Amino acid sequence: MAIARVEWNVWMAVIGRRLIGIEQWMEFADKPLGMQDGYAGFAKQRRVLESTIVRHLEREGHELVSCGAFEYVETLLRARPVGPLEQWVQWVDASGRAVALRPEMTPSIARMAAPLVSSGQRSLRWSYAERVYRRVAAPTASLQFASGSVRESTQVGVEWIGGSGVLADVRLLELCHSALREAGLAQAHTVLSHARIAPLFLAAVGISQGLVAQLLALLHAGKYVDFEELAGSTPVHGGLLSALRKLRPEQPRSLEDVFVTFGKRVSPSSDLVAAWSELVELAARMRESGLSADMTFDLTFHRDVAYYTGLIFETFAPGVGVPIALGGRYDHLLQQFGAEAPAVGFAFELEQLMEAKGMAIGWSTRAGVASC
Amino acid sequence: MLTVALAKGRTAEDLVPLWRESLLPCPEDVLSSRALVFEVDWPPGERIRFLLAKPMDVPTYVFYGVADLGVVGKDILLEQERAVYELLNLEVARCRLCVAGRPELAAETPQRVATKYPRLAESYFRRQGQVVDLVELGGSIELAAVIGLTDRIFDLVQTGATLAANGLTVFDEVEQISARLIVNRSSYRLKSTEIATVVEGLTAAVRRRRVHA
Repeated sequence: MAIARVEWNVWMAVIGRRLIGIEQWMEFADKPLGMQDGYAGFAKQRRVLESTIVRHLEREGHELVSCGAFEYVETLLRARPVGPLEQWVQWVDASGRAVALRPEMTPSIARMAAPLVSSGQRSLRWSYAERVYRRVAAPTASLQFASGSVRESTQVGVEWIGGSGVLADVRLLELCHSALREAGLAQAHTVLSHARIAPLFLAAVGISQGLVAQLLALLHAGKYVDFEELAGSTPVHGGLLSALRKLRPEQPRSLEDVFVTFGKRVSPSSDLVAAWSELVELAARMRESGLSADMTFDLTFHRDVAYYTGLIFETFAPGVGVPIALGGRYDHLLQQFGAEAPAVGFAFELEQLMEAKGMAIGWSTRAGVASC
Repeated sequence: MLTVALAKGRTAEDLVPLWRESLLPCPEDVLSSRALVFEVDWPPGERIRFLLAKPMDVPTYVFYGVADLGVVGKDILLEQERAVYELLNLEVARCRLCVAGRPELAAETPQRVATKYPRLAESYFRRQGQVVDLVELGGSIELAAVIGLTDRIFDLVQTGATLAANGLTVFDEVEQISARLIVNRSSYRLKSTEIATVVEGLTAAVRRRRVHA
């Protein structure tokens, strides 16, 4: 019966295309740039996948929360004072305050959690499934870069407010991969690092503060050629990229070994040693938990999100060029919202996850034949 | 399987000898055949696939993950700003990104500029404090200045012979350009062993060329 309905829909579409000329197409209303319509099939599959993950997160003890699509710009700036402002879709509301479509969920979650933490709730395990909006360049469209277009996407994630320590990090990584398995994705790999190690390492070997910022921006963008050129112009004379690559938390002595190559004039700072110890402990705990096979450390991996203070990670699946999940620890973000609590979280990029599933199990977006 | 997207034309022609010097597998007829997809055995028991694509499309194939690696000019990476990782300067397909025009207009304030690189051109002239009309063209950019459609062109210059043959001259060199090895963020993590082998081979070949230069 379902197949007959699909065939009928296909025939109607064919007949419709023949009846409607190109002049008439031009009269149809435009879809705003970057907004995503979800027709039958796609919309249903996205909702099914979203619900599957949310149910799994609920079974694992997370309560679903929600908030509006706008935030005051001041709220977003509390989270990222040096944020990518050009990516935010902003305007002024009736009261004259600047508002923006939320580009991510973490600042909204921090805003919502702070009053509860302040009133004595020490632990919150929340999940969410919401649309987020970022202004992106459109390189293939002539001159659209001047105004940019907005990209709407769906994030399903968790935030653990009050979760501290390496053990919480390991549990979060386990949750990320168990949710992917629940969603039907058999193969995924996570790359991990620590938000503070690359900056502290570069400072410890004698790179000036201004250059550290430039080098970190290049690491974040993966512009390794430019990184090596810039590093080569410093008093350190390069070798920084390969030094960072040699830092292996599974081999605790690798930090000392790398510093030996820079000579006696430099040594790791106490902050760097403390951050390194966290990562070494994480590696050991991951090995005990059987997570090591699906995860690798790479200290050249850096994210440009200022609020991260510890673990950072991205998860990848075959056939999709960008991460399907991103996350990290942000122990000082709640302070910016009037409370104090460690926190860690991650978000799945749902449309990327759908793409990964499609390639993995032959899923099709054609109406009527999709299955999840 | 590892998939490598190569920018057709001069980039691929300059790259293939370097690729062979790096002792990596390369289809015999990749430059002579009209086919767009080639496969050879590598590493043992597996295959490596080469795609020949329009240069402007190479970062797109890599970004979306249908190609793991790509070889493309830095000019296109600067123009598109795709979120792909840039692993290696291959030091082939060298040229210059230049502003050029008819010599008699050199002292005039630029009004209208023909280019394949609207983002870079807009940024360059804005940095100069100049407001110009940009005319985006797909090829033969010199023609726009020759017939008076624009008073400047913003384009790649290799030897300068085409400019000279059309009575144009370089006013400013904006950037030195060469081919780069790029990879998408996912393949960089998921196929790290194969990609490291490619990078090591090419790095050694580039260094050998530097020594013999």
